[in-house]
This record gives sequence, C-alpha cells and structure tokens, in this order.
Amino acid sequence: MAKNKTSSFVWVRRLSQSVFLLIFLYLFMLTVYHPGNETYGPVKLFFNFDPLAMLTVLLGGHAVPGALLLSLITIVFTLVLGRWFCGWVCPFGTVHNMFRGIRIAKGKDKIKAGSYSAWQKGKYYILTVVLVCAFFGANPAGWLDPFSFLFRSLGLAVFPLVNAGFEGFFNWMYNVDPLNLSVITEPVFMLLRRSFLSFSQPHYFWGMFFGVLFGVIIALNMFRARFWCRYICPLGGLLGICGKNPTLRIKVDPEKCNGCSLCVIECQTGADPMGEGKWRPSECIFCRNCESVCPVDAIKFEFKLPGGESHEKQHS
Amino acid sequence: MKNSIVKWIVNFFKASGEPGLDLGRRRLLAAGVVGLSGGLLFKANPLSGDRSYNPELIRPPGSLAEDEFLERCLRCGECMKVCPTNVIQPSMLEGGLEGLWSPVLKMDFGYCEYKCNMCMQVCPGEAIRPLNLEEKQSVRIGLAHVDKSRCLPYAYQRSCQVCYEQCPLPEKAVWMEPKVVVDGRGNQVQVKQPHVNADLCIGCGICENKCPVSDQAAILVTSVGETRHIKNQFLTADRYSG
Repeated sequence: MAKNKTSSFVWVRRLSQSVFLLIFLYLFMLTVYHPGNETYGPVKLFFNFDPLAMLTVLLGGHAVPGALLLSLITIVFTLVLGRWFCGWVCPFGTVHNMFRGIRIAKGKDKIKAGSYSAWQKGKYYILTVVLVCAFFGANPAGWLDPFSFLFRSLGLAVFPLVNAGFEGFFNWMYNVDPLNLSVITEPVFMLLRRSFLSFSQPHYFWGMFFGVLFGVIIALNMFRARFWCRYICPLGGLLGICGKNPTLRIKVDPEKCNGCSLCVIECQTGADPMGEGKWRPSECIFCRNCESVCPVDAIKFEFKLPGGESHEKQHS
Repeated sequence: MKNSIVKWIVNFFKASGEPGLDLGRRRLLAAGVVGLSGGLLFKANPLSGDRSYNPELIRPPGSLAEDEFLERCLRCGECMKVCPTNVIQPSMLEGGLEGLWSPVLKMDFGYCEYKCNMCMQVCPGEAIRPLNLEEKQSVRIGLAHVDKSRCLPYAYQRSCQVCYEQCPLPEKAVWMEPKVVVDGRGNQVQVKQPHVNADLCIGCGICENKCPVSDQAAILVTSVGETRHIKNQFLTADRYSG
C-alpha cells in the first residue's frame, strides 16, 4: 500500500524554492561596487516584497519608500491563498528546509516533534513586540527579519569565510605548486575573482559572532524542523495572521485515513494536517508534504470559501 | 460568488472551523508592554532626540538623523556588502543597544570613497537617503582633526603630508603650514604641519585610513559637523557669512 513516489506538487515546490534561493544568492553577488558606480540589478528586490519591513518602516517613520509597497502583493496573496510565501519563496525558509534532515527525534517522539506546540505562538508575540516598538520609535524588525538575517549572515560571515577559503587554497596552489597544477588553477582563480570572489578580502568587525549566530539558528533544526519558522520568525507570524482564513484548505477523507500519522511527522511547521477542525491554516506553509506522503491518498487541498459550504457539500 | 466573497471577508476575523489563533489577551498585552517599553527606552536614550552625540558613531553619507535612522534601518547589511572599501561595519554598542548591527564607519578598515554612492543606492528602508553623486559629495559625515601628539611633523619633526595628498576634495580640506621647529638634537628643521579646513572637510576619513601612524592615526574623524544633526555642528566661516 505504501507509495514511495513524491508527488509532483512537492517537486514543483522544490523547484520554486531553488529558483528563489538562487535569485537571492545572485542578487547577493550583484551587491558589489562596479566602476560605473551602480548596481547591475534590483539588489533589494526581496526586501521590497517584505511586508514586515514595509509595516515597521511605515509605523515608525510615517512614510515608506515607494518600492516597499510591492509587499502589499505578498499580503493580498497571503490573505487569499494562505502562507505559501514561507514554503515556496522565502530563501531563509529554504535554507532551513535544506537542514531539516538533521532532526534527532526517534520513534514516537517523531510525532511529537512534528505536531503543533503552543510555543509556536511565540512568533506572534515577537511580532507584537516588534510592531509596537517600531511604532514608538525604534525599529527592531531588522534583527529578526528573515531576509535581513540571511543577508547579514551571508555578507558578514559566510562570504568572507568562503572568499578566504578560496584565496587561501589558490595562493597555496600558486606558492607550493604541486605537480605543476598552478598552470590550471591560476586561470580558474582569475576567472573566479572576476565573477564570484571579492577583489579584496572582506573584513567585518565581529564576523565570527555573526557566523556562530547563523550556525546556531540553523542547528536548531535538530530539535524541530524549521525551528526558526515555527517559533521565531516575525514575518512568518505576520503572514500567519494574514493567512488565518485562506480559500485553499486541507480536505482529509476520514474513510480512507488509517491514522498512520505520517502526515504529522512530515509536516514542516506543525500545522497538524489531520483534517478539518485540527488543521491550523496559520501554521501551514502549503509545502504539500502531508498530501505527498499519505500512503492512502486521503489528503487533498481544495478551494473553499470559508464561512460557506464546500463545493462538494453544495452539490450533494 | 459575490455573496460568498463578502461572506469570506466578514468571516475573516471569526473562527473558521479550524483551531484559530488563540493568542490570549493577557499575553498580547504583555508583548505590547514589552514593545512599548523598548520604544520608550529608546526615546530616553541620550543619543536620540539631539541630546548628545557619540564621536565614534559615524553613519554612512546621507543617513537620516539618529531617530529617523533607527526607524528605517533594517540591519540587513546591504550597505556593508556593497561598500568597496569595507569601511561600513556592523555597529556593536556605539549607538546603544537599539543601534545594534546598524551600519557605522570605521576608518581603520577603510574610508568613504569620494566617487561612490553605492550604500544609498542599495538601502531598502532608505535610512540612507538616495542622493546622486554630486549631492553626496557635499554631505558631511564627520570632521577630521589632527592629533598633534602623534602627527609626525608636530611630534617628531619629520616631513609627512600623506593626509594632504590623499584628500579627495578638489580644493583640499587639509592645508600645510611651513614651520621651523627644533628636533631632538637641537637642530632647526623645516617641516610642514597639517591643518584641517573645517569649511571644506566632509569627514570621508581617507586621511585617517592612510595615515602612516597606523594603530591609532594622527588624524582622526569624529561625528562632529555631520550634516544629519544640525546641533552637532559648530559655526564654520561659510556659515558665519551665509
């Protein structure tokens, strides 16, 4: 009965996540000085679609840069369809998704680790603190905004580290020159310097601290999948509130369901996908793992206007 | 269809059959109080509201006044990544806890390049105002001052005019005064001693960065004179006449 095939929906999601993560990294690499004194691309694109940035700047400064209004698209999309943004777009979410495999829960604990915990309300309280504090003058959104967090960690820790690693390796190849390999490595080094590496090694005050912080946040995935997204992320909280009543909803066939709990174990954000009355739309990021993993195909997502009857019931 | 959309909007804040967001009024109130305290504590910070200024808190060119700056800065590090000289660094406590990880210029890492305005182009919250290059070149981020106890022509009677040579302004904000001084052996030596022209200096910090006295330069930039705080400026000649 068990099926080993991952549904096409999950593959589409993974493709979407990869594309957005690559766009983020590409824009990150474009964020450098060019002799023409301009950036070669829309380097702040992700921030423009970030409603948390827009809202906190608006609350504190009573005005907002026009480009940030693009984040209204994110809000409207989430209001209608739910919290897809976290599962399909957010590059920091994708990074957490990549490290989801380091979970340490075994046996029955897996169900506990997968299901909802009241601590997940934490992100809504964090969001409240951030918004109120921003309104009264100091904007703390940047410390915990996922794009800020990812960009800062990459820029101040990961990239300097990678750059130092490459430079060290190629300089060693040049100086020691084992088997005359520098004939090959030098052109490669030149090519990398021109495209990917920095023209001079970046140094940042407290870079080690930002690296350790990034590592700790990623390592929290050991305890719960997407720990950051479940408990901390204020943008996730904001989108959770926007997406509390989406038109796309889970539908579980109680006659087919054999109660195996695989859906709960595979759920990335503790949304309890066990059917109407249990599913938590504010936590669900529509990763469709539950639908994909269900051995009896009891789980489906369908459009339904909340407050109204579902389409099936109307017809019967 | 139309009716159901209206119904959906009306029902948005009502329970929808699923477990709702039961956040609890008390806890929400507590979170609000924490946020309120944070905001008010910032208002009570001496660095907010033009009360006092940290000489080391040199913000990128075009930055808003500290209050507005912290309302808009997202601490994303875009300006730090894009800066070609690496001068923009994450601040630790220079701006108080509320300024943690916001950008600050450390002239021992780099200097503000005269012909560059990249940081203002990439700032997503526009905490650094987007100015064109010409406007940016007239924005003061601070002012240089000579430390006569370390500067070579003053303290050690040796010729040096690195700060003068490096100054990027067309009219040069550093000028050299010829002087005859007595060295350690009692000989009279002719040197040129640097002075900073406060009317011209924009505080870019290249003099501090390139000063041969490397650990703590003999010419230092502090935040005084910065365009973003009118009260953190003193009257210079152009402002007397103007």
